[in-house]
Amino acid sequence: MKRLLVLLLAVGLTAAACGGNKSGGSAGSSAVTISNEQGTTWTCGFNPFNASVSFLSFGTEYEELTYVDGLKSGKTTPWLASSYAWGNGNKTLTFTIRKGVKWSDGKPFSAADVVYTFQLLKKYPALDLNANWSVLKSVTQNGDKVTFQFKTPAVPYFYYIADQTPIVAKHIWSSIKNPTTYKDDHPTGTGPYTMSSCSPQVIKYKKNPSYWQSGKPAIDTVYYPAFTSNDPANQQLASGKAQWGSQFIPNINKFYASKSPDNHYWFPPVVNVAVYINQKDPVLSNLAVRKAMAYGIDRSKVSQVGEYGYEPASNQTGIVTPTFSDWLDHGLAKQVGYNPAKAEQILQQAGFKKSNGIYQTPDGKPLSFTMINIGGYSDWVASAQIVAENLKAIGIKVTAENLSSQTYDNDVYNGLYQLAYDGNQTAGPTPYYELRSLLYSKGSAPIGKTAGSDWERYSNPATDKLIEDYAATADKAQQHSIVTKLEQAMVDEIPVIPVTEGVDWYQYNTGSLSGWVTQGDPFARPAAYVNPDWGVMLLHLKPKA
Amino acid sequence: MRFVLRRLGFFVVTLWAAVTLNFLIPRLMPGNAAIAMMARYKGHVNPQALHAIQIAFGVNNHQSLVSAYFAYLGNIARGHFGISLTFFPDTVAHQVLQALPWTLALVGVTTVMAFVLGTLIGLVSGWRRGSVVDGALPPLFVITSAFPYFWLALLSIWLFSIKLGWFPESGGYEVTTTVGWNWTFITDAVNHSILPALTIIVTAIGGWILTMRNNMITVLTEDYVRMARAKGLKPWRIMWTYAGRNAILPNLVGFAMSLGFVVGGAILVEFVFNYPGVGWMFLQSVENQDYALMQALFLMITVTVLLAILAADVATAILDPRTRERG
Repeated sequence: MKRLLVLLLAVGLTAAACGGNKSGGSAGSSAVTISNEQGTTWTCGFNPFNASVSFLSFGTEYEELTYVDGLKSGKTTPWLASSYAWGNGNKTLTFTIRKGVKWSDGKPFSAADVVYTFQLLKKYPALDLNANWSVLKSVTQNGDKVTFQFKTPAVPYFYYIADQTPIVAKHIWSSIKNPTTYKDDHPTGTGPYTMSSCSPQVIKYKKNPSYWQSGKPAIDTVYYPAFTSNDPANQQLASGKAQWGSQFIPNINKFYASKSPDNHYWFPPVVNVAVYINQKDPVLSNLAVRKAMAYGIDRSKVSQVGEYGYEPASNQTGIVTPTFSDWLDHGLAKQVGYNPAKAEQILQQAGFKKSNGIYQTPDGKPLSFTMINIGGYSDWVASAQIVAENLKAIGIKVTAENLSSQTYDNDVYNGLYQLAYDGNQTAGPTPYYELRSLLYSKGSAPIGKTAGSDWERYSNPATDKLIEDYAATADKAQQHSIVTKLEQAMVDEIPVIPVTEGVDWYQYNTGSLSGWVTQGDPFARPAAYVNPDWGVMLLHLKPKA
Repeated sequence: MRFVLRRLGFFVVTLWAAVTLNFLIPRLMPGNAAIAMMARYKGHVNPQALHAIQIAFGVNNHQSLVSAYFAYLGNIARGHFGISLTFFPDTVAHQVLQALPWTLALVGVTTVMAFVLGTLIGLVSGWRRGSVVDGALPPLFVITSAFPYFWLALLSIWLFSIKLGWFPESGGYEVTTTVGWNWTFITDAVNHSILPALTIIVTAIGGWILTMRNNMITVLTEDYVRMARAKGLKPWRIMWTYAGRNAILPNLVGFAMSLGFVVGGAILVEFVFNYPGVGWMFLQSVENQDYALMQALFLMITVTVLLAILAADVATAILDPRTRERG
């Protein structure tokens, strides 16, 4: 018995000692390890049109036509296309495809691959994750030029076509019988890395020696371990085993930043976390109630207490600052701030009467609502609690209901809620994308039917018109003036109440590597789960001399 | 023989009931796999993707519950478990086979070790009541078994991995190690399994000690033990073949069941240690409304538990003639 224990302990100790030596890495080759908890083990599939794995190949193996920087209001960098031009009243988009690019199997890349990729999306709608073919009419090739014809002017779709669609090889994909269920376990791409080995626990990427951007990438190997829970992923960052993190870390200064002077973090805000208000609810459809709530929520308290100060407070215009500050109408942003006295005044003016501390509608219904929330997100649970307390103080009773994420999403998509604490909308390169997903009624659906956007069921023909007008103009000044009018609608009609600004989680270690995205040089969105931005980041990284 | 046949019949009926419940229960959950997938990638995927994912998953292919049930029975009979939506487009069989060895090695070995060690300690402390062994070990392990598992696991990670640095804190092996049957990998994997294994044993052993010790004490008062003593048999022989053999009987079924549950993995263990096993996969399948994977795992657990119980019944019948039917 005792001997067995001693033996076990001895084996363990020697093995632990061996394990300790390994973390230093072998000399002469550079590597970066990513720590990004996805709550899943790897399937070792890399199909870039499969939404659950595309983030593992799009940016490293597969590349985009033009890179669009979401932290620089959509500044473009030529990528697989050397240039692009709009024509025909913004209904025709022409790309000139780069010469001299090779697939990782050595075959040349050409405009035919680009056309083929888009034909593939047309033939298999299951692959068309950005619904490109809802606006496209045709895609044709003419030498090294590829021309996209749109049904209507489609300026915002540039982002989805140029930046969000990975280009695949015709000579590989044309022989695949069912691209929807194709695993793509050895992807052939044009990108800076190739997949070298994969297990459910870790993916190893190796540098593509014949990459078209000469001399790049500088890092030989990328390790991407799979984490099924947050704590081990955070621990790898704190111990320095992983250099690039995309993690929510509670108490980050003590847990991470204080462990090494090389540990840094930056959380750029990209998209709002908001209280969605179901516009079809008989009581919530009253503007006075929504306005009172917008005045009643102390956003900076939610930011500080609920979100550890990581996510800054939002403003009612829906423009995320400082990322999109030059789009913000400062006058509008100041209009609806935290002012509980004003909130009660609005309710009283609208004829609501207080009884037992809760306001009642003129026909005697108390202002009492449930707000659904995802119970698994501890920060949202805390934030929702503060929102509920704030609203109780102005005489509106809100009960936070913490649900499992699939019940929650089912309710939000189908409009089966009164209030929802949510961050469902996706970030885009300009604030327009988020405002469209919040306000465009043509993306919505009746209660009980699944809506792809506009989950609060807001509908205003004038707002829809503004959103369509934006699509027709590539002129910056005009775009800005339309977005200002959308901000006005957010402030006047309160379809949702932005509370805090959701961020890209980003930690980086400058001990052995340089070239990281910083606040001063945001050349890409820095979270490892953002595509194709993580490929751009990997191309900038360099080993320190 | 008739006893075994009756047990077999019982086995088949239970199996059918389990398989049917296995089909029905997941379908009572709200939402669907496409929405669950959007939930998993909140904010990272364009909302428009919902439509594409629904097509890919065939979510809107409305099939009646009855025809789905018979298709399901047919597929199970032929061993077709379909495509996992969590690990789309990989097959359920491939995913389960990939995770199963990790679970069998970790949870299987520790379950057997906990049973063997617990039974031995219970046997000895029951036999020598009031001795040092009896005074120290059972209370100690009963206390450790009463700890909430995740608390004990997190505490041991904090102490042994972070403070002392003896063992790695998570995963099945170091990310820089290449998977294969070589010495480096095997030592690395063993090294990663020690901490989770110890925490499982420490929390599981107390129950076996307590029941074995109590059974021993009851059995020791029996007449046949007194008779053995009167015959002047050696004490170790009485302990093993007279008292021990009878005292272990009630524990056998419990052990068989816990062996059956091994294939279900240990969800908490695998979650806390980021261990690549079946238990965690089970949790994932439920969270992602992945019916195919859920059903395969449920089925695997049900069948192994039932088989283990069947085996325990037969073993009990062999060890204890009283349980056999007359006639």
